[in-house]
Amino acid sequence: MWQAIQARETGRTPSNSFANRLKSRRISSLQLSNRKDFVSPHRGSVNSLQVDLTEGRYLLSGASDGSAAVFDTQRATDSEASSGLIAKHKCVFSVDKGHEHGHKFAVSSAVWYPIDTGLFVTGSFDHLIKVWDTNTAQAVVDFKMPGKVYRTAMSSLAMSHTLIAAGTEDVQVRLCDIASGAFSHTLSGHRDGVMSVEWSTSSEWVLYTGGCDGAIRFWDIRRAGCFRVLDQLVTQLGVRPPILKHTAVNSKVSAEKSSSGGKNRLKNQHGKHTGSQNMKGSSSTKASVEKSRQKRLHPGMLSTLDRATAHYGVVTGLKATNDGMYLLSAGSDSRIRLWDTQSGCNTLLNFETGRLQTSKAIQLATSDDPALVFVPCMKTVKAFGMWSGRTTLMFRGHYESVNTCCFNSTDQELYTSGADRQILVWSPGGSVEDEMVQNEEVTEDKDNWSD
Amino acid sequence: MSVWNYVVTAQKPTSVTHSCVGNFTSPQELNLIVAKCTRIEIHLLTPQGLEAILDVPLYGRIATLELFRPHGEAQDLLFIATEGYKFCVLQWDSESSELITRAMGDVADRIGRQTDNGQIGIIDPDCRFIGLHLYDGLFKVIPFDNKGQLKEAYNIRLEELQVLDIKFLYGCAKPTIAVLYQDNKDARHVKTYEVSQKEKDFVEGPWSQNNLDNGADLLIPVPSPLCGVLIIGEETIVYCSANALKAIPIRSSITKAYGRVDVDGSRYLLGDHAGLIHLLVITHEKEKVTGLKMELLGETSIASTISYLDNAVVFIGSSYGDSQLIKLNMQPDASGSYVEIIEKYVNLGPIVDFCVVDLERQGQGQVVTCSGAYKDGSLRIVRNGIGINEQASVELPGIKGIWSLKSSIDDAFDTFLVVSFISETRILAMNIEDELEDTEIEGFLSQVQTLFCHDAVYNQLVQITSNSVRLVSSTTRQLRNKWDAPAGFTVNVATANASQVLLATGGGHLVYIEIGDGTLTEVKHAQLEYEVSCLDINPTGDNPNYSQLAAVGMWTDISVRIFVLPDLTLFTKEQLGGEIIPRSVLLCALEGISYLLCALGDGHLLNFQLDTSTGELRDRKKVSLGTQPITLRTFSSKSATHVFAASDRPSVIYSNNKKLIYSNVNLKEVSHMCPFNSGAFPDSLAIAREGELTIGTIDEIQKLHIRTIPIGEHARRICHQEQTRTFAICSLRNQPSAEESEMHFVRLLDDRDFEFLATYPLDAFEYGCSILSCSFTDDKNVYYCVGTSYVLPEENEPTKGRILVFVVEEGKLQLVAEKETKGSVYSLNAFNGKLLAAINQKIQLYKWTLRDDGTRELQSECGHHGHILALYVQTRGDFIVVGDLMKSISLLIYKHEEGAIEEIARDYNASWMTAVGILDDDTYLGADNCYNLFTVKRHSEAATDEERCRMEVVGEYHIGEFVNRFRHGSLVTRLPDSETSQIPTMIFGTVNGVIGVMASLPQEQYAFLEKLQTSMRKVIKGVGGLSHEQWRSFKNEKRSADARSFLDGDLIESFMDLSRRKMEEISKGMDVQVEELYKRVEELTRLH
Repeated sequence: MWQAIQARETGRTPSNSFANRLKSRRISSLQLSNRKDFVSPHRGSVNSLQVDLTEGRYLLSGASDGSAAVFDTQRATDSEASSGLIAKHKCVFSVDKGHEHGHKFAVSSAVWYPIDTGLFVTGSFDHLIKVWDTNTAQAVVDFKMPGKVYRTAMSSLAMSHTLIAAGTEDVQVRLCDIASGAFSHTLSGHRDGVMSVEWSTSSEWVLYTGGCDGAIRFWDIRRAGCFRVLDQLVTQLGVRPPILKHTAVNSKVSAEKSSSGGKNRLKNQHGKHTGSQNMKGSSSTKASVEKSRQKRLHPGMLSTLDRATAHYGVVTGLKATNDGMYLLSAGSDSRIRLWDTQSGCNTLLNFETGRLQTSKAIQLATSDDPALVFVPCMKTVKAFGMWSGRTTLMFRGHYESVNTCCFNSTDQELYTSGADRQILVWSPGGSVEDEMVQNEEVTEDKDNWSD
Repeated sequence: MSVWNYVVTAQKPTSVTHSCVGNFTSPQELNLIVAKCTRIEIHLLTPQGLEAILDVPLYGRIATLELFRPHGEAQDLLFIATEGYKFCVLQWDSESSELITRAMGDVADRIGRQTDNGQIGIIDPDCRFIGLHLYDGLFKVIPFDNKGQLKEAYNIRLEELQVLDIKFLYGCAKPTIAVLYQDNKDARHVKTYEVSQKEKDFVEGPWSQNNLDNGADLLIPVPSPLCGVLIIGEETIVYCSANALKAIPIRSSITKAYGRVDVDGSRYLLGDHAGLIHLLVITHEKEKVTGLKMELLGETSIASTISYLDNAVVFIGSSYGDSQLIKLNMQPDASGSYVEIIEKYVNLGPIVDFCVVDLERQGQGQVVTCSGAYKDGSLRIVRNGIGINEQASVELPGIKGIWSLKSSIDDAFDTFLVVSFISETRILAMNIEDELEDTEIEGFLSQVQTLFCHDAVYNQLVQITSNSVRLVSSTTRQLRNKWDAPAGFTVNVATANASQVLLATGGGHLVYIEIGDGTLTEVKHAQLEYEVSCLDINPTGDNPNYSQLAAVGMWTDISVRIFVLPDLTLFTKEQLGGEIIPRSVLLCALEGISYLLCALGDGHLLNFQLDTSTGELRDRKKVSLGTQPITLRTFSSKSATHVFAASDRPSVIYSNNKKLIYSNVNLKEVSHMCPFNSGAFPDSLAIAREGELTIGTIDEIQKLHIRTIPIGEHARRICHQEQTRTFAICSLRNQPSAEESEMHFVRLLDDRDFEFLATYPLDAFEYGCSILSCSFTDDKNVYYCVGTSYVLPEENEPTKGRILVFVVEEGKLQLVAEKETKGSVYSLNAFNGKLLAAINQKIQLYKWTLRDDGTRELQSECGHHGHILALYVQTRGDFIVVGDLMKSISLLIYKHEEGAIEEIARDYNASWMTAVGILDDDTYLGADNCYNLFTVKRHSEAATDEERCRMEVVGEYHIGEFVNRFRHGSLVTRLPDSETSQIPTMIFGTVNGVIGVMASLPQEQYAFLEKLQTSMRKVIKGVGGLSHEQWRSFKNEKRSADARSFLDGDLIESFMDLSRRKMEEISKGMDVQVEELYKRVEELTRLH
């Protein structure tokens, strides 16, 4: 540590890589925190967690008992706690069924307004999306949805819109505009309810949705219809589509190009290379040909033709990586898939998930240094290497199945919650040691006095 | 009140980060272009050496600097990319000698994650593409069109996530890059890709090379006809191309920089981490590479960049030591080195620590820095003002005046030194042993006080006493002529030049005498209404022996008058105002501008620009130099004229860029000064002070003076102990051969000659982390306390350290106590007569207790937890300000009654701290990892608990420098009555060698200057079209926000360098007079 600080002082290590290395070391030592504890006010399964995007300080939770609560992750409510015992973080406030505007049924999703912490949004099984004023704890806008709300999302990049994307029981994805209090868009395409919605982290106009029909659709909300449907069978090995062959031996490819065009050509070449994929390769070619033709013909009509699926079963979770280049999806087929958002290809990464929850939406989380994916795997949470798929960390602590992971990158802490109604904090290790040091000091002090 | 801050650079960045060579200013001229992080310097190569042409600031941190020549251009263009994802292409405009922006743009993307290994910017040798690697997994391409203009950029996905280097290859039909990368098993490979312009994608390249040296991190593209690429590893160097592969083993070293020697690319200079420079030769038969050869040339500073100029002259740019201009000789010298150092360019960076001391005890701060790294480590003493290096001195109390005389008017050297006392005059001369001894000039009166002396035309000397003017031959030393004061009158003040004498007798009589060959002619006599206090006829015109004008200062009406000679007609009269009489006037010409300087009896100096044809006095300015009467005298150094103002705070007044600069001299109270240029003491000054006469040489006339104490090891922490007049440093020495590669020491140095007095070696693996000089309650001794850390290879976080307490006895370090700690001691502070240490996550307070056996020990009293790592700690009263590794600033208080430390407030932002400072009781200053400064304020009076616990960010600013340390203090002498003396200042030191000053201004002044800054932004355009506003806005990973509560002093002070037209433009926009603006800006420049 001291050496790293020295290297930074002399300019040998650039300051950002110093920070990244340190974060990475802290993340790899994540363990159940023995210094911080959230006192959960929820009396039902906790379905949603999010840390605010501006300060990285306030944690918002939503639970099946219809309640939502806000916690201060930095400052313990119990001031006595600073003397070395576990610091208790009680919620700053909560809204539940007892509240005059409270949701009647389970809150399935609770998200912060991305610009500041003055507002937050909850979606509930009572068919309502409510926008809350944080300071007064009053609902300021209601949106009546056609069915149970599974997931809501707001774009963290949006500078020119304040849209809440909502996935519900209904086949249509609706965008609710906070500014006007009305629906601004209705996105049709899915053939079943929509379990997960996620905004792109590179463009404020791009929305990803995952449905109970197993499809993941990409929408550019400035245009009609979806512009891409992910197909689990259209694949690439690695971080990008394969490199073009050297031009000297490229005649065959260019002949093929006239029929399929663009990047799709690369995919079917690839399909031929990867043995076991061979059979499916042909169908993927067809699908992608159809897709690209469709894209050119009439983007809005795509849904009738394209039945590509991303997962067998329900898409239960979506998470766009922070660099905006990839999308992670979780399905009721107990698979996690990593998609290249530019080419739309499945990167064929095999995450060692074991079994995943099938009936509920789950919330994934990612970290940048090291590139990890945190996935609720029944009662445990696993962290997988983004490019290896291997389990690097395992978090056991919940008594029932885990619904959500939320990674706080400012503190390198992981918050998880599940059906056991708890919100657990996983923090970088080293604090145990600290504890011991302190205990010793306490005894030492006593000795001094007793002398 | 410390919320409104003004940040200014006292020492510009000195660490060289990039350099390149090419024909930039004209097709025939060879230029060296040097980047010092945020500045660009353009040099011209001349037979005499490097000549600086331009030095400009850039509103960004330079990430890439490349020269290139698009098709159809006769000379090179400069491509610059900044760390803030801006790029620009600059061209030299030879007519106006300015940089013009050919193209600029923003290459920031929403997608991708910033690369960890630094940004890469490369240009295709055939100028088809600019390639940028800014984000992991993306390669950005900016294509050129046929006319050499840049077209729209696009990204190509890159398969390699951990890229170490990318270079364009030479001699490829299609633009081809070689990528050196590390896979996820930590093996390193090189791959090539062709960039297809049509597909906007990569096409598989001609070759690849797997499993290279694990330390390979540099690619050198080899030009045609050989082509291919050199892969520089730690243990091997590999030449690789489509049809050849050659490798040689090298002695283990990390190559930091390379420079190409020949155009055909057969020879390269490689500079490694230990400062050794090697020549790498590619042997070849025609176009076929046959092998590689490597030869050690010698040692230089540790290079960060190498540029081969011409004729075996090489520029070595360094970030860790002084940059050098070296010559590579054909034959080795006695030590076997082929390297000859021609010139050195001072580099203060990286300043890891410094202290502000007043060694001469004159109330002026000096900064002593821990500079450089590894073998190039040094201490640097940075001081404002000009030093006099004492050559000789004699004890001579009671001097009333000194003058130097020549033995003949054509003589190059001065022979005599005339020293006047209250009732005698002594004449000193140099004898053969170069000693000053008493001599005589027969024609001079020696039993009376001399009022003035001067060489005169026709090999004569003139002496003026209170009764007479005597003209003496300098050859025979006999009296030739004499003028006596009228009976009843005595001469009060007198002055002379080579052919004129002007004197004033009591009753306001002014007498003008001209000197001829053996004659003294009273040409004119004038009766003034008041007594004359001072006068001057220093020639300012073309004739060095004759002055057209005389300046006269008056009693009673407190005025200064200009008379025309020889008629003594009144030209101008200027009332000085106030009640203090002028005590010395001086006519002088500096950089071709005539000035009238007028010094008052209270240490103030007025200066006017003098129009010699009309006698008009313009641009009146008043400054305070001291508190005692000032005597003004001109002298010349390096063929430029300067003015010496002798007083209790002696100063040198000189002109730079046609503006007057006042620089103080490192002497206490000087009563008189005269230039004394003798054979033994060339270019010296004779100075009368404090009962002695000193002869000394003067430093180069410039603002900041840097003295280097090379120590050959890396000093990390420094502190000064006033009582023992010593410095103590924590340092480390690299030992290339020994088992342990690093040895750590605590060393004691004398603060006068910087000699090592004593050394205390630390244990194996023990690092010195902090050092402090302090004293404790109930103990009159002063101690050095050193905090250490045991850095064991297997531990991430140190779990053991020590606090060592030393006392200095007879110049030795005596260990009197030691205390083991459970972690590294990052910081030590004296705190209420106790010792406050920051140990890993904890703040710990120790008291100094007496044991039964009479020895002392540190005993822990209380502590505070709750930090990630408490790296930087400052204290004030009972308050403790902690800068955390990654959790910004928190404020703790020590409660005496409970004997406990508690947190009372914190800033909840996630700033990664690099330094903290305390501005006042409620306002604290921090510097973060993203090169920002910010201030936070505590609301102790707030109504709610939440608000009291939360510190509000009140100021934000992007300084663009990595700040390592803040210290209270000032580089300039503060005079009690000057306006700037009320302004508290802080000094900071950065990695790039910047010494900066931060001043907390009164709000009105801040508001005024903010308006000025806004106006100046409109008038001064940034190089490459970069915006000042964007550059100075606060930015970190999460957000960016406009700068607030901070002003950029560098921009504001550049007002003084603007043309009159631009000044007027600004003044019109501000609705304030140019003179007023100028005055206010000039005041600010005296903060540093």
